[in-house]
Amino acid sequence: MSAVTAIDVRTISKRYGSHLVVNGLSLQVSRGEIFGFLGPNGSGKSTTIKMLCGLIKPSGGSASICGLDVATQGDAVRRTIGYMSQSFSLYSDLTVEENLEFYGRAYGLSKAKREERIDEMIRFSALTPYRRQLAGTLSGGWKQRLALAGALLHEPAVLFLDEPTAGIDPVARRDLWDLLFTLGERGVTLFVTTHYMDEAERCGRVGYIWNGDLIAVGTRDELRHLPEVTPTGAARFQASGRDVVAMLGTARKLHYVRDATIFGSGLHLIVDAGTAGSRIAADLAVPPSEVAPIEPSLEDVFVALTRARHT
Amino acid sequence: MNRNALDLGGYDAVLYKEIRHVLRDRLTLLFSIALPLLQMILFGYAINTKVEHIRSAVFNEDRGARSIAFLDSLRASKSFDIQRNAQSRTELSNLIVAGTVRVAFDIPPNFTADINADHPAAVQVLIDGSDSSVAQPAYAAATAIGAAASGSRSSPLIDVRPRVLFNPGLRSANFLVPGLIGVIMQLITMFLTALSIVGERERGTLDQVMVTPIGALGLMLGKVTPYAVIGFLDFLLVVSAMQLVFHVRIAGSIALLFVLSAGFLLAALGLGLLVSSAAKTQVQAMLGVLALTLPSILLSGFFFELYLMPPVMQWFSYAIPLTYFLEILRGIILRGAGLAELWPAVVAMMSLAIVLLIASSIRLARSSES
Repeated sequence: MSAVTAIDVRTISKRYGSHLVVNGLSLQVSRGEIFGFLGPNGSGKSTTIKMLCGLIKPSGGSASICGLDVATQGDAVRRTIGYMSQSFSLYSDLTVEENLEFYGRAYGLSKAKREERIDEMIRFSALTPYRRQLAGTLSGGWKQRLALAGALLHEPAVLFLDEPTAGIDPVARRDLWDLLFTLGERGVTLFVTTHYMDEAERCGRVGYIWNGDLIAVGTRDELRHLPEVTPTGAARFQASGRDVVAMLGTARKLHYVRDATIFGSGLHLIVDAGTAGSRIAADLAVPPSEVAPIEPSLEDVFVALTRARHT
Repeated sequence: MNRNALDLGGYDAVLYKEIRHVLRDRLTLLFSIALPLLQMILFGYAINTKVEHIRSAVFNEDRGARSIAFLDSLRASKSFDIQRNAQSRTELSNLIVAGTVRVAFDIPPNFTADINADHPAAVQVLIDGSDSSVAQPAYAAATAIGAAASGSRSSPLIDVRPRVLFNPGLRSANFLVPGLIGVIMQLITMFLTALSIVGERERGTLDQVMVTPIGALGLMLGKVTPYAVIGFLDFLLVVSAMQLVFHVRIAGSIALLFVLSAGFLLAALGLGLLVSSAAKTQVQAMLGVLALTLPSILLSGFFFELYLMPPVMQWFSYAIPLTYFLEILRGIILRGAGLAELWPAVVAMMSLAIVLLIASSIRLARSSES
């Protein structure tokens, strides 16, 4: 394992009875990296993150954080990581400040250190006006900021975030991501699960888990050029038009179209390589200016990878 | 992940927040203080209201002027309601066996003659002891009337001889009130502990705690300390109410009572933790507490003396900490017993408390680490 590896997972599995929730998953995340962990609900995202944080015992395999083994060096691992769980998990009946005080004490920070870190985290998350407000009365976005501040109080090297932006408004979502980028710049390793594709696009590298299997890991560009995503002898096009549903029907009947999906106000098409944009435009009855070759988005990548698994 | 079960780390952190939970939740705090008093007063008065108009029968073999005067004083006392005049001793005892009356007065043939000759005249009083809440005041009232009728003489003129039937070991003072102390302490402490821990699991905050280096023991003790304090406050309240409202005096050592009550709190906390380790939701926790409380109350000897139960039931009784605590409470409060008499119960109760605490801590550590 290299010295810059923050998270090292080796064939980790979790089985509940006969149900295999996570199937021999392996991955490495470097220090300071923002790693996006994607997958549909129930695919094993939260189970994986909980195994890495030591909340769930793996059925097999091992994991280490900054060189510390999760199974045997639990206490050292706990001091190294921060964890923000899927649901709001701070105390609603404690104030913002009291919640942070609790975490400061939980990590055994001295009184002076606690005061310093609490001030710093309240400033970092811009919670100053809410300092003495009960956590339960904060809105969703502010609750998440507080949860983030709590998870960061002991200055962890690695931060696990399980769907940190679920259920909060777009502005709060963007603000939270800005905070996460700041952390990344400061050298904190971030392991973020999400099912928002636009969030995945912000990550340095992403992994995609489906039914307990990690089916792809890499940077956006690496994933786009996977053979399953854009098969050899195929090309991707986007076509926009007024009636995308009718266009989809037409496209699926064309012999050179391998796959067609509605995407916003247009279609994403996989066609035989060498097909001209003008021909597609003519067949779909749209102006040629509305058809252009495109790079696959991450969503295209995951749709393609999931379909490849199904068939 | 390896977590040392005996790690006390983080105790101050958990205690810090737990005290705030308690103070913020005013309603629960109010309930845990007011409910014990309410229970005490309801139960206590339910017992005391039965003191008057106890159904009684008389077999008067004497029929002389003195016996008629004695019966008049019985009627005047309001304690007894003489409903039947039996024609024979057999009829009198049948009335009690059948449950028609609770108390029977048996006045012998030479009653008037004895008193006129300045000899003590004996009156036999049979008391149905199966309901201790009736038998106890009946016993006291009968003795008092005999004493009053004898005037200020040094030797009693009318010698009232009460005999308690069916339950000869009837305690000399109020049977239920000291027992209530134990029942109330167990109920409140178990409820608060179980709800607090399960509530944390239900809200998902437990995971957030488990990723910190807080030790298993630190978490557990930090969570239960405030509830142990509330449990002890309840104890003080209920003991004061017992003395001030119900005038049950503590015959034995108050210090011993305090120390052993604190010991019983450990057992009650252990039971609360045991429920917490099994329950996933607060509703389950409440049902679990009830499931453990009902047998505790019924089998501990709170209502019926242990020896009145079938032997199989008694085995269960001996596994319940409350059984021993009731023995301790009644021993200290009613009979003035000390450690010399109570040590077997003390050893048994503390052993159960330790077993419960260890078993539930291990179970809880496992259940939170799935």
